[in-house]
Amino acid sequence: MTPFSYTRASSAQEAGTLSVRDGHRLLGGGTNLVDLMRKGVEHPTTLVDVSGLSSEIGETERGGLLIGAAARNAAVAAHPLVRSRYPLLARAILAGASAQIRSMATVAGNDRVERERCRQAVRPEEGECPGPLAVCRRGLRRQGAVGSPDRGDRRGQACRPAGPPRSQP
Amino acid sequence: MTIRINGTEVAAPDDPRVSLVDLLREQLHLTGTKIGCNQGACGACTVLIDGERALACLTLAVQADGRSVTTIEGLSSQAGLHPLQSAFIEHDGFQCGYCTPGQICSAVAMLREAADGAPSYVTHDLAGHASLSSDEIRERMSGNLCRCGAHNGIVEAILDVAGKDAA
Repeated sequence: MTPFSYTRASSAQEAGTLSVRDGHRLLGGGTNLVDLMRKGVEHPTTLVDVSGLSSEIGETERGGLLIGAAARNAAVAAHPLVRSRYPLLARAILAGASAQIRSMATVAGNDRVERERCRQAVRPEEGECPGPLAVCRRGLRRQGAVGSPDRGDRRGQACRPAGPPRSQP
Repeated sequence: MTIRINGTEVAAPDDPRVSLVDLLREQLHLTGTKIGCNQGACGACTVLIDGERALACLTLAVQADGRSVTTIEGLSSQAGLHPLQSAFIEHDGFQCGYCTPGQICSAVAMLREAADGAPSYVTHDLAGHASLSSDEIRERMSGNLCRCGAHNGIVEAILDVAGKDAA
């Protein structure tokens, strides 16, 4: 792991200010980001721990559900409101990972949700990106992340994220 | 920055790269917690952080600053073994013993989660209060691998303690 400094955000506003600085990454539970840092895929210079912010889960005035970004997956799945009114959400969470990971991971986290999930990107030891999508034999394994590269492009364009880079927890 | 480990305040390491499991094993010589995969897949490193089960290999020690960590060493006391430790012995819940500290820490938290009414993937009635069957235990403990295959004894041990808790 390359050296980095660690700080805790005292507010969502501070987290927002820090998150856009070069090399700064938001840290939730760390179940994705710490793993990728150890594998040499991610190299933040500063980790901004936001796990102490906004973990509440509650009903809104209009009868909806508000889930804080730092709420743990396990807490969401176990919440009585979620279990009774949004059972699909609970079941989806419970279908993922393990109990330990669910206890640690925040709902807004998961470093790779909005980044390219190309197998190449997370396993650099497998070699350099071959470039154009048309010749990428891993092109079909992008595992459908929200911001995954344009999978519909068959004209030989190089692999690229579908949208502008965003800050990640 | 200090971390409360088994009731004792410990200074967090200067280097934020130190994982919690390395702090426990290398610095504090609490070698009960084991490293299996070092990437969050096997559960051998399971400890309790503020009572919740967590993977010490994926936790940076600095993340535990201001929080309370319980390891397998912290489960027993002057009064003797934790009931789960006794049950694992009685029901042959281990062979080589490598996954065992993680299994027991995981089971401690799992029993509390179940007592609080948390459902699992196999729970039929999500809104109700699931009772701990063998299937429920296997699902809730699925984050703890056992290469020796002591699963049957592990489940028996947990069922034993769960039954006594419920009584």
